[in-house]
Amino acid sequence: MPPSIKARYPLTWRVMDALEWLADRLWPRSMSRHTGWLLIAPSLIIVGSLVVGMIEIADTSLRTLDTATFRMSESYSLANYQKLATSDVYLTVAWRSLLGAVLTTALTLILAFPYAYIMVRTRSAAARKALLICLFLPFFIGQVVRAYGWLIILGNDGIINQATGLIGLDPHRFLFNFPAVVFGLVQYMLPFAVLMLAPALTAIPEEVETAAKSLGASWPRTMRHVVLPMARPGLIGAGLVVLTLSLTDFAMPAMLGGGSQDFIANAIYDQFFRTSDAGLGAALTLLLVMGGTFLVGVVLSVFGAGTLAAGRRA
Amino acid sequence: MLEETQSSAAAVGAPAHAPPTVRVREVSMDFGTGSKAVDRASFDLSLGRFLTILGPSGSGKTTLLRMIAGFQRPTSGHILIGGKPVDAVPPDRRSIGMVFQKLALFPHMTAAENIAFPLKMRRFDPAFIPTRVRRFLELVRLDGYGNRRIHELSGGQQQRIAIARALVFEPALLLLDEPLAALDRKLREEMQLEFRRIQKELGVTTINVTHDQREALVVSDEIIIMDGGFIHQHASPALMYRSPADEFVARFIGVSSLIEGTATVGGLMLAGVTLAGSLSGSLQPGMAARGVVRAEQVRIARPEVSLAGCETVLLGTIADVIFEGERLLYVVEVPALSQNILVYHHDPESAAVFATDAPVSLGWRARDMIVFEARP
Repeated sequence: MPPSIKARYPLTWRVMDALEWLADRLWPRSMSRHTGWLLIAPSLIIVGSLVVGMIEIADTSLRTLDTATFRMSESYSLANYQKLATSDVYLTVAWRSLLGAVLTTALTLILAFPYAYIMVRTRSAAARKALLICLFLPFFIGQVVRAYGWLIILGNDGIINQATGLIGLDPHRFLFNFPAVVFGLVQYMLPFAVLMLAPALTAIPEEVETAAKSLGASWPRTMRHVVLPMARPGLIGAGLVVLTLSLTDFAMPAMLGGGSQDFIANAIYDQFFRTSDAGLGAALTLLLVMGGTFLVGVVLSVFGAGTLAAGRRA
Repeated sequence: MLEETQSSAAAVGAPAHAPPTVRVREVSMDFGTGSKAVDRASFDLSLGRFLTILGPSGSGKTTLLRMIAGFQRPTSGHILIGGKPVDAVPPDRRSIGMVFQKLALFPHMTAAENIAFPLKMRRFDPAFIPTRVRRFLELVRLDGYGNRRIHELSGGQQQRIAIARALVFEPALLLLDEPLAALDRKLREEMQLEFRRIQKELGVTTINVTHDQREALVVSDEIIIMDGGFIHQHASPALMYRSPADEFVARFIGVSSLIEGTATVGGLMLAGVTLAGSLSGSLQPGMAARGVVRAEQVRIARPEVSLAGCETVLLGTIADVIFEGERLLYVVEVPALSQNILVYHHDPESAAVFATDAPVSLGWRARDMIVFEARP
């Protein structure tokens, strides 16, 4: 029997038809070659507003704070930059940020690679799910709560020191030093790195590893000569993300460093919100942006853009 | 004819003085899925021979190959290569070159680096590696392509690099895991002949796995037909084609018609008709049986023409004519059998081409229909 004349398309189809009709009125077909620009316009506006903010910050960084009136000077000077260049404090903070970021990146990649590799290659679906859940769990907790958790575990009166106290050991000071900050950062960055590495490792066919084995390569040599070089784009992408995120991190140095291990972001915060010297804070901000950009530029020119090259061949 | 007797003799057993290069003894693989992937497979392969394991997907042929390569350990049974048991030897210590289904070339290396890889991994003298790599690039006719990246090579060139890489360290055994399956037909046929040429030139013992019966017939000295983890027949291509061991082999190789009936002395009986055929193996008259007759062994003529020499003659009507280029395939409806019979007609240019609905007479000789025990 032929379908009834009264048969209609499902509601969702008719809604889509109406929306298409509306879209045609708002954005005529003749404009369709500009549709791409229309779609990225909101993102461009958001990113563009950052540029406006940067110009504002650059302007502020050239004004000094008048300590008598607590107002920014009307005239421009390089006094803030001079202060930064001659101050040991800021040199130490910058060096600490850089060293912390580089160490965090190296340690995170070393830990994330086997995690991602096992997650991608394991034959057990249950193991893969468990590894994924462990990966996403920290995202639900948030950075500050996690850092606070470490205070509870590692503090002078924390769980570990209580446990070692039971066997007669004096409390050990785990927190408020540089290793504690790096430790916290690595723990924070690990999921980002694994998530960036996993697709790169998935893209390596398992047959390539099998082939290497049949050609006489033992397991470590297969890793060294085949898997690692083929995972390079993923390692670079993950490395860049971890490097920039930890270079600019605020919460871990603040909480696990206890004020003694400030990174640049903490110094900026102090200038803006404690001493109210917006000029010096702005100069520090620009320095951080330029330093970070320079570092990323070095990585890109030495190693290439990796997975961040978005489809272009390395 | 001489060629055929030689190959069938070798397939049955190698000369006593040369131990077989590969010896597979009662090898089984059980993945715990109910039925065995490979069920007590045994065969010998002598030095320099080209063996093809042929079977439909899921027949266990790839599992058998992976066990020989060492990527999977048999549940039971033994594999010997060069006379030595290899059950405890990992794949990277076996002297086996393998070409994979998706080639598995290393994209971060050049063609020459790919070929040099096994030499480096096996710690060959570094001074001698460049010469050897050049020699193998020449062997696969790609001299001058050494510095190309893999993605700069065509599909056929990649095939050649993969085979050079698998052979450059002069392994005792070459394994081919359906490397031609993804190629288009023309390139596939070209590469089949190329594999054959290289294999003959180096004299390397080779095991090829495929589901393409044509490839098996073209390239091999010997063929093993597998299905359901079980080896049905191991013979030379010509012997396998002419004397299939059972119904599965007869159906898998070549284009045939199947006729259900009851075995009788001198053929097959059904619905009051007796068809002349030869009974295979242990088939006794009265048992349920299937007759298999190849499309090219059925003769076709106008109804009034007597088909001399044919013990079976049937009348039918052309139901369909399929043009295949070098030949025609007739689908002939035969009322006496209430089924269709396939008939090949070579030389489609000839005047004696039948049109659809034309009445015809079909015939075959008793020895051209083999009657097998009907298996469920």
